[in-house]
Amino acid sequence: MPLLALEGIRVLEVTDGIAGPYCAKMLADLGAEVMKIERLDAVSMTQRQWAGERVETSLTVEDTALFLHLNTNKKSVAVDLESADGQSLFRKLATQSSIVVESLAPGRMESLGLSYNSLKDLNPSLVMTSVTPYGQTGPYKDYQYTELTVFATGGGMHREGIPERHPLKYGGEIAQYFAGTAAASATMGASVGALMTGLGDWLDVSIMECMAGHPHQIGRRAPFAYNGELDPRREPRTSAAGGREPYAVGTFRCKDGHVSFLPLGPRMWPNIARMIGRTELMDDPRFNSPELRTDNRIELEAIFQEWLDRHTRAEVFEATNNAGIPGAPVLTPTDVMDDEHFQERGFFRELEHPEHGALSYPGVPFGFSEVDDVPGHAAPALGEHTVEALSEILGMDEAKIGSLREAGIVS
Amino acid sequence: MNSENKKRPLASVRALELAEIWAGPYCGALLGDMGAEIVKVESIQRISRGAINPRPGAPGYPDGDPGERPWNRSANFNVLNRNKQGITLDLTSARGVEVFKELAAVSDVVFCNSAFGVMEKFGLGYEELRQVKPDLIVLFMPGYGNTGPYKGIRSMGMSIDAISGHSSLRGYPDLGLHRLSPVHHPDAVGGVTAAFAVCAAIHNRARTGKGQFIDMSQAEAFVPHLGEIFLEYGLTGQPRERRGNRHPAMAPHGAYPCRGEDAWVAISVRSEREWRELCQIIGSTQMSDDPRFKTLKSRLENVDALDDAISKWTSDRDHREVADLLQAHGIPAGPVLDCDGDTYDDPHLQQRDYFQAVTHPDAGTHLLSGPMWKSASAPQPRHEPAPSLGQHNNQVLEEVLGFTSDEMQSLEQTKVVGTVPLEGSDMGGVRRVQRGN
Repeated sequence: MPLLALEGIRVLEVTDGIAGPYCAKMLADLGAEVMKIERLDAVSMTQRQWAGERVETSLTVEDTALFLHLNTNKKSVAVDLESADGQSLFRKLATQSSIVVESLAPGRMESLGLSYNSLKDLNPSLVMTSVTPYGQTGPYKDYQYTELTVFATGGGMHREGIPERHPLKYGGEIAQYFAGTAAASATMGASVGALMTGLGDWLDVSIMECMAGHPHQIGRRAPFAYNGELDPRREPRTSAAGGREPYAVGTFRCKDGHVSFLPLGPRMWPNIARMIGRTELMDDPRFNSPELRTDNRIELEAIFQEWLDRHTRAEVFEATNNAGIPGAPVLTPTDVMDDEHFQERGFFRELEHPEHGALSYPGVPFGFSEVDDVPGHAAPALGEHTVEALSEILGMDEAKIGSLREAGIVS
Repeated sequence: MNSENKKRPLASVRALELAEIWAGPYCGALLGDMGAEIVKVESIQRISRGAINPRPGAPGYPDGDPGERPWNRSANFNVLNRNKQGITLDLTSARGVEVFKELAAVSDVVFCNSAFGVMEKFGLGYEELRQVKPDLIVLFMPGYGNTGPYKGIRSMGMSIDAISGHSSLRGYPDLGLHRLSPVHHPDAVGGVTAAFAVCAAIHNRARTGKGQFIDMSQAEAFVPHLGEIFLEYGLTGQPRERRGNRHPAMAPHGAYPCRGEDAWVAISVRSEREWRELCQIIGSTQMSDDPRFKTLKSRLENVDALDDAISKWTSDRDHREVADLLQAHGIPAGPVLDCDGDTYDDPHLQQRDYFQAVTHPDAGTHLLSGPMWKSASAPQPRHEPAPSLGQHNNQVLEEVLGFTSDEMQSLEQTKVVGTVPLEGSDMGGVRRVQRGN
């Protein structure tokens, strides 16, 4: 009986970028055996990718950090997929796997002789998930991308920022991670189907469509579809359609940093007045209706700010909680790692890597009551598990593996 | 459910959804896209479909008209709750809880995005639920999870954005954080992550026969999306600075103004080859010869002047044309699509059949989006419209639980079920969970 949620599920990963590796990481972190199929000529962490064009950007510590994060709990198998022998090895591994996650340019797997249709003939229950910036079809399918450009086309950017300036991307590589998460959901759903029916599927996941299909985007597009309502960039303190209390919407300075609030409607007003110890304002003729509080929001924000300036993030967090107003401290990533809540839940975990030492890694966002947590291990060295894959899965002997190695097919 | 959906992978799964706002309902929408039968449990005592009596002309209704049953006409609700059945149950009543348990006994999954402790107060915590169905999969996803010092604190996507570290990384680097736009993206992450966890648990149950309680934290779902930033800090000891649209290893890298009102194109130049190509496209020898722009290093040092030069070229051009032109030369570029007509008009999404016109009996015919992925083996699912309030009370309770019409009548009389909100049941759309009831 499997002790881990996805124990016994073998996954082959042929990816670059972030979305594909993150999809496979989610499976690995629940106990699937993820074999990252890598290039032999990868000489550094950052070149261990399948990008068709070697982009000349300088190698950065950020790339190393990405590699370490995205590849926890995975195995590394170095195979030359451009050789016929390497392709044959991949096909053999695929017959003994449940899932393939790939993020190569559309058509590339087919040109390697590894299309879904050819793999399906060998393994009808295989689930193959293709995660690409724009999907396998359509006018943008061959478009190049970065986080910035795909985030822009996904609809998240136009609204981010203030009206008098250019629109902004979010911090980090948000669209790609989101698509990776969606791809993992789709992959698990299809895997349930494969278990029930014996028939797998090929999933075409587009980063653009994941962003365009996410609840915020479809929620914002809906009023346009229903009533032609526009959704431009706005000033931060804007009352949304739900009639929030605009003087208290968004991010604010406080004594030792910033805090964030989202009061959900006029019923929050008495709670806010009590929280800042100004109950007399409830009867103030300048503020005693939602419309007046909107009209006089600048005055009211100043009163609110005066209270904030006297309180720390921790004090404000506690006060909002007591008052029932959704609010939270704005933490830097460093603060997050030190935060007592994440610590008590044991969310960050320390993993030892032979080259980079012990580092603190974000963990798994959920706990399952009836299976064990996966004991984490750091990203594998290039080809660390090649021999294991060839001998244990494909039953090859040392001589055979040695000849493949000499021929430059594996390493 | 139409016959096409029976071919989808979760066709044999029934899930009970107790979910509001974005994160929970989106989990249900995704499971529904995958063919699961989603029974959305609401009540006539507590309405989270917007105001019951919005003013005439309130935003977010068809043609600006809330109509006689505004709770069935909310744009936001209707687009997020595709492919679900809707029932009402008063879970503050003993009978309502009993009926819920009867439903749970014939279901596979229960998921809820309410604040910590809400289900336990109803008497519907995991321990109670597993007694009626030992192999039930139960997922509760409060913002900070079901354990730890913050577990009882209510949160919204914006709170998660703040506490995860993301807010501190957003915005224009030269402006204070008090100028940040509200961002609710973590709701989306929570919904999709929950759908993944539920599918993984269903898969596990199919192999082991075991159900599961899943303690999910929406904050922890989002933090790994910033993972390299935490590891970068571990490797260097240096915290990440805010970057806005700029990138330390690419220039140009930004959103540039185009012809038309608030129209923009995003451009990323990753290499010297791409830079030379861009100069050729722009046809400016002045730019390619400019010593300030010769190398990545010098472009980064003179990035304001660089952005001005690019903006000058883009500003009288169409945002899609610029993107197409650059892409023809292999340079990453994309129109900054707005959430109004731009996305609906996008030729790529249209060719991929991304939008479908769906008719809702109370709200009319509008475009719905997605699903977020396509399957090679099943046809693109045709979305069912969001349920109106209590629309499937009879269907679910009579057909699934075998209730008689007398029993239904008694449930209606005692207001355990219904199709019309009770007076005072909306709390500005999102009512705070009352303490102590």
